[in-house]
Amino acid sequence: MTSYLLRRLGTVLVTLVGASIVVFSVLNVLPGSPAAVILGQQATPRAVRQLTAQLGLDKPLWRQYLDWAAGLLHGRLGVSYVSHVAIGQEIGQALSVTGPLVGLAMLVGLAIALPVGVGGALRHGRPSGSLLGAVGQVGMAVPTVVGGLLLIVAFALRTHLFPSGGFPGWSDPLQALRSLVLPAVTLGVVEGAILSRYVRASVLEQLRSDYLRTARAQGLRMGQALRRHGLRNAAIPLVTVLGLELASLVVGAIVVENVFDLPGIGTLLLDAVDNRDLLTVQDIAMLVAATVLVLNAAVDISYRLIDPRTRGRS
Amino acid sequence: MRRHGRTSTRARRGGALVAGVVAGVALVATGTTGGSVRGAPAAAAAPARDLVVGSAVAPPSLDPTSNASAAIDEVFDYNVYQHLVQLDPKGDVVPVLATSYAISPDGLRYSFTIRRGVRFSNGDPMTASDVVFSLRRAASPRSDYPYADLLAAMASVSSPNPRTVVVRLSRPDNQFLYSLAAYSNGVVLDPRAVGKISTDPVGTGPYVYESEIPGYDVVLRANTLYWAGRPALSQVTFRYFSSPEAEVGALKSGALDVIDNLPDPADVSQFVGDKSFAVIDGPTAGKIQVTINNSSGPLRKLKVRQAVAYATDKKAILEAAAAGFGTVIGSDDVPGEPWYLPSIDKTYAYNVGKAKRLLAEAGYPKGFAVTLTLPPYGYALTAGPLVQAELAAVGIRATITDIQFPLWISRVFEHSDFQLTIIDHVEARDIANYANCAYYWKYAGCTTVARMLTAAEEATTRSGEIAGFRAIVEKINADAVNDWLYNPDQVTVAASDVVGLPDSGIAESFDLSHVSIGGHLSATAKAEGYAS
Repeated sequence: MTSYLLRRLGTVLVTLVGASIVVFSVLNVLPGSPAAVILGQQATPRAVRQLTAQLGLDKPLWRQYLDWAAGLLHGRLGVSYVSHVAIGQEIGQALSVTGPLVGLAMLVGLAIALPVGVGGALRHGRPSGSLLGAVGQVGMAVPTVVGGLLLIVAFALRTHLFPSGGFPGWSDPLQALRSLVLPAVTLGVVEGAILSRYVRASVLEQLRSDYLRTARAQGLRMGQALRRHGLRNAAIPLVTVLGLELASLVVGAIVVENVFDLPGIGTLLLDAVDNRDLLTVQDIAMLVAATVLVLNAAVDISYRLIDPRTRGRS
Repeated sequence: MRRHGRTSTRARRGGALVAGVVAGVALVATGTTGGSVRGAPAAAAAPARDLVVGSAVAPPSLDPTSNASAAIDEVFDYNVYQHLVQLDPKGDVVPVLATSYAISPDGLRYSFTIRRGVRFSNGDPMTASDVVFSLRRAASPRSDYPYADLLAAMASVSSPNPRTVVVRLSRPDNQFLYSLAAYSNGVVLDPRAVGKISTDPVGTGPYVYESEIPGYDVVLRANTLYWAGRPALSQVTFRYFSSPEAEVGALKSGALDVIDNLPDPADVSQFVGDKSFAVIDGPTAGKIQVTINNSSGPLRKLKVRQAVAYATDKKAILEAAAAGFGTVIGSDDVPGEPWYLPSIDKTYAYNVGKAKRLLAEAGYPKGFAVTLTLPPYGYALTAGPLVQAELAAVGIRATITDIQFPLWISRVFEHSDFQLTIIDHVEARDIANYANCAYYWKYAGCTTVARMLTAAEEATTRSGEIAGFRAIVEKINADAVNDWLYNPDQVTVAASDVVGLPDSGIAESFDLSHVSIGGHLSATAKAEGYAS
């Protein structure tokens, strides 16, 4: 197990280094130098050169890359070219919105996917099972933006149950949570629809397995057999999917933040791109990359913990 | 920018032009005794309240001295930072941290008397030496001030005594005071606090920076040490919206008290006739124009550029892009400038026949193909297809390319890699751009204009100044350097109990120094252009 962990960690690190080179290269070929964008339409070429030098952007690219990478290794995200504020602080503030949003959305997704998926599997072949499957299909087919707007119309504009957008900050936790409800449901419904299909497929597979047939032969009803033996097995592929889906939720959050006007990572990223705040964009890209990689690694490792059979082969 | 709204967010500033101060004699302006001191809170009687202002573009930084974004000045200029002299909503230069100023007959020496009893929001007293520090910081060779060039004529600044600051110019520049008033060059900073200017701004204005969520909001609170008495609002929040619909909805639902400038002026129809809202519209300093690359292909020829100008129906474009909120213009010349020539928009009155004739005379009877590069602003995206159709009517086949603003800055502005583009030059009095041979439209007459500009700026009589600038306005119009379309209005919508908002967008600042909720506005403030 230890050597497996080490190897897995090594893969993560090598991939991160690769990702950092790609992110850095792509952003540095973008036209529109940060200094020119900061100084605007009255900038003189001399002023642009001077600011470029002040920002350290006149150094050779490899040097800039090494400076940035060394900073990251020491946990220093650097200071924004544009706002002159520590990027770590800005990302932290944005994460205090995006983090809870993604977490809530995943909870909403699971709350939908587990009953719909298990129910669909147990009613497989019956009309009620097909209906649950169809509900899942519809949920997946509705684009996030449309779903969000429908929720705003129904719950914010008509009934005023929840705010239609904006975020009051965590100083008032109740209001903050209220403003995250609609965005989390928007993200979570789609997520629930996607996950329910995995749940259904995974449970179905277990239902058809030999060991469950044996369990039923010993007198257990279908539901009992599933609870005692099947669900743990059904959970293995699901955990894999959950990890990947968590990463895609972070990406989905960028769209939803825009619809609901939330000051999260998505808003920060789009503003940083608009302002050619390259360092901030690089840092956020690396943060997302690292999150995905670490989640994947965690999935692989938890896979082994859930399923003892996989521990032998490595 | 993905956001619409306050047009080109980081555009502005201008040549070195200014108010008609000058005059051979020492000129004095005062803001002392009696009447309202500018900056005095409007409403002593009204209880302190909070105000929420909706806006389109969030400030990318808190520091107006290192970034050209107009969104920074909108919040921080005049509200948090103050200048010796500032612009009132009419566009006139008025004394603020100076109580008076005098200009020597040769126009080379400006002497400011510093207001007594002013403290920075951190408690430090504001003195003449702080003013000297601030002006030297702006003019230093290492300055990042986006408009530092405007201070080129400044030779020295000193304080012979604690209440006086003297600025000496190397040549007369009748626009010097205007550039101190209109641009971040003039902000007075606390040398002891300037090291943290990006995170902890300290000024002398009526409001103090409280907090921000980047891209989302900025919160200011009343400056309890404000020299003109406690401000009428206890807290001001600027809240930013990427969607104009959401912004308008927030005002209607009461979540906002004010929208500083409607991203789409056509939305005004939702408020007209509703007694709970007031619409305040007035000119900005902006020029929305089809910029022509004077060094590219057929556009090198005067007759071709004139044909472009005749081919565009400016009035129709103003109606379509801004619901008529604005003024058709014919040069780099807008209402509010002392030398404004209203008739100059008639030179190239819409005339398809004339445009075709000029094209034929220039050797393009069948027209030609051009590119029209559009930045992502509402006015450009609306006007672009109209301009394209109008040019097609005379045989000029324009292909539209939509690009992001950073790309626009790089491709169009830095490298002049374009033929036609539509952009708002929002900076006030920026006609000096036509004297800059490197400027992106590559105007061949730049050296002539540079000579004319020096003469205009050095004029020591008001009439000489006006005549000098008018000559430039007419020269660039005759050369059809660009196809100027219109001067857009700032269209402010507010709950009807909000008093004292600026009635124009001439200053970059959304000046809240006279704003109250249900308060009383002094006659002086009304005369300066604050809406009651």
